[in-house]
Amino acid sequence: MKKLWEIRELSTVVILVLEILFFTWWLWPEGGRSHPFLNWPNALLILKYSSIYGIAAVGAAIVIISGGIDLAPGAVMALAGVVGAQLYVVQGWGLGPSMTMGVIVGLLSGLLTAGLIVLVKLPPFIATLGMMGVTRGIAFIITEGQYFDVSSHLIGGWRPMGLPADWVAPIIMVTTALVFHVFMTTFQWGRAVFSVGGNETAALFSGIAVNRIKTSVYVISGVLAAVSGVVLVLVQGQGKADLATGYELDIIASAVVGGASLAGGRGSVIGAVLGTLIFGVLRNALPQIPGATFYDRLIVGLVVIVIVVVDQLLLKKRS
Amino acid sequence: MSSTSPGLQFTDVRKSFGAVRALRGVSFGVVEGEAHGLIGENGAGKSTLLKILAGIVQPDAGDVHWRGERLHLGSPREALERGIGMVYQEMLCFENLTVTGNIFAGRELTRGGRLRNGEMRERTRALLAELHLPVSPDAPAQSLSAAYRQLLQVARALAFECSILVLDEPTTSLTDAETDHLFSVLEKLKARGVTLLYVSHRLQEVFRLCDRITVLRDGGYVETADRRGVTPDHIVRAMVGRELPPRAAVTKAPRAAEAPPALAVDGLGRRPGFVNISLTVNAGEIVGLFGLVGSGRSELLETIFGLYKREAGRIRVNGREIEPSSPRAAARAGIALVPEERQRQGLLFNLTIRHNLVLPDRTVKGDVLVRTASERREAAQLVETWRIKAAGVEVQPDALSGGNQQKIVVAKWLATSPSVLLLDEPTKGVDVGAKFEIHEIVRREAARGCGCLVASSDLPEVLALADRIIVMREGRIQGQLSGADATEEAVMHLATHEMSEA
Repeated sequence: MKKLWEIRELSTVVILVLEILFFTWWLWPEGGRSHPFLNWPNALLILKYSSIYGIAAVGAAIVIISGGIDLAPGAVMALAGVVGAQLYVVQGWGLGPSMTMGVIVGLLSGLLTAGLIVLVKLPPFIATLGMMGVTRGIAFIITEGQYFDVSSHLIGGWRPMGLPADWVAPIIMVTTALVFHVFMTTFQWGRAVFSVGGNETAALFSGIAVNRIKTSVYVISGVLAAVSGVVLVLVQGQGKADLATGYELDIIASAVVGGASLAGGRGSVIGAVLGTLIFGVLRNALPQIPGATFYDRLIVGLVVIVIVVVDQLLLKKRS
Repeated sequence: MSSTSPGLQFTDVRKSFGAVRALRGVSFGVVEGEAHGLIGENGAGKSTLLKILAGIVQPDAGDVHWRGERLHLGSPREALERGIGMVYQEMLCFENLTVTGNIFAGRELTRGGRLRNGEMRERTRALLAELHLPVSPDAPAQSLSAAYRQLLQVARALAFECSILVLDEPTTSLTDAETDHLFSVLEKLKARGVTLLYVSHRLQEVFRLCDRITVLRDGGYVETADRRGVTPDHIVRAMVGRELPPRAAVTKAPRAAEAPPALAVDGLGRRPGFVNISLTVNAGEIVGLFGLVGSGRSELLETIFGLYKREAGRIRVNGREIEPSSPRAAARAGIALVPEERQRQGLLFNLTIRHNLVLPDRTVKGDVLVRTASERREAAQLVETWRIKAAGVEVQPDALSGGNQQKIVVAKWLATSPSVLLLDEPTKGVDVGAKFEIHEIVRREAARGCGCLVASSDLPEVLALADRIIVMREGRIQGQLSGADATEEAVMHLATHEMSEA
């Protein structure tokens, strides 16, 4: 399986390094002032916000490798965050149980999505488009337009397991990415995901329980989106229904930039996480360039196209 | 071969794909207006040569001349514009379009950007009449039979007034009657002066149609022979480069008299595919399941393999009743299926052949981890045992020839040591050498004690391979023949005629 992952991940790392070098050079301060981009607090900031995308992007990459697509992560993030925040702030539950409940909501959403795809046989695009509306809608019903202020309940020195709060998101992301990388590369389950994405019929004919595999990938995607939603609420300090609007496309773009093929059967979990870092750096550095504020969406869009085109050219050259 | 011939001339054509030398300097000529057969085993370089002619692949070196003029074929469109029409083995058909739409796909007649539907329909009608195809120009392509879709490709080539028509295994999925129809059309084209380049594994067809025959082997040119001057045996020897070993005398594993059959199917039904099917396959026995396309044989095998839910009946493996609710369950019960379409149902092209080879076995065993080292060893072993020609186990299946791909599909199931081996058209689109080897593999498995059920519409294959032949027609078993009763006539009679009420 080596070839399937490593070469592609390496090129994603190279892009990330070049990107960081570029912004370091571009934003180099005059006359000995501190660097606005290349400093430790800023790096942590990038890492923290990228992690929210990154956790969900792991799930999105797995779905894409299985030949499907999940449009719901952004909305599931909002619903999970809102449920967690409501239980914590309004119902007075403990932090742990509230956020666990939020994650369970993501699991249920994933199960429902899988049911629509596996049993009702809806195309994944339609099923998850529908679920995107359903989950976002429930989030609005729960909040009735209000927002739940989590930060005022979290006492200033919140240190989960003795760690600084800023570290929570990156640690969860790195752990998730490593765990699922191992699952995808060294477990039969991971190979089955690649098989289903490569040729669903042949996978079925090879004795793979295709429906079970598909169910598992949508459940994983739902759970990971919920985890990142809960983390987002903790990081931002408030739960509201329009949280993470439009994140699904950034998440899918990260997975694709990280080497996942929308045709299925190809991609990498680590690559997807690196993809979110590429966008995280862009989102952080572009606003610091004077006059670039209005260009950042354009640049992000161009970056997706350029990276995927270059990837395809490289792939063609190799074969 | 006359170098002065102004027809189609290949001169020292070379092409490599990575380390694989697909064509190592092929030179031969096709006389204008003749029917020229091109044969060779899979991997001999035929497909590459055709792709060069079709403009899909560019040669590394060498020239192609037509009527003394050098051809630059940069794309399929350029090839078509130079009068080279292709009829491919896999039927390229836009199922969502009409017959007219298919014939003019990509080269629609337009005036100022608007389609000239009336004129295209009229031209299609004329073409169809010329080919004696009783099909409406407005019929949706998906309503056509396999044979008509094939003839549609011929019509498409003719619509652009091609002077060279290249046919790549056009009869793979045609019945005899349909093949006859195709051949009568080809004869007519030949009489009109169209040059035919005909590629097939079926020697019989090549001898029937072609004036001269060129043999390729391992990417090299072997010879061009006049049909009247050679025997089929001579051509086979030229293709294979060795004498075919005599059919191995296989000693049957002694079977305990009381042992239950490897596979017993009782009253199995699934409408509309088939009804009330009862059959047994004993351990060590090869049973042929003969039926034409549409007879329900594929559906039967796929139902036994758990792909479809059955409506009625019982299935027993080694006497034990099983409930094949999925291919996974069937495989766990000891059933293996080598499916009909290896590209669509057999192989994973995003994974290397190692993964392809070990996947069913590991899935059946319910392993949790992928153990790369032991898988590599096992895959290498399988590649060696079944003589699969591949540049190692970590290459993807698209680097292999059709025959070797098929051997992978067979080998991956044999790795599970099944009690029952179901094979659906195991040698479809496979050359003589690989066909022979696949037959040997089936015989060896049977000798090992496996019950083999081979569904095929290739009658000589069934006759050569099977101990007993079951004939299916329109979803029912029409009869069983064994030993001396199993003649070509008897089998065809059962397969094509209504059973008299008796």
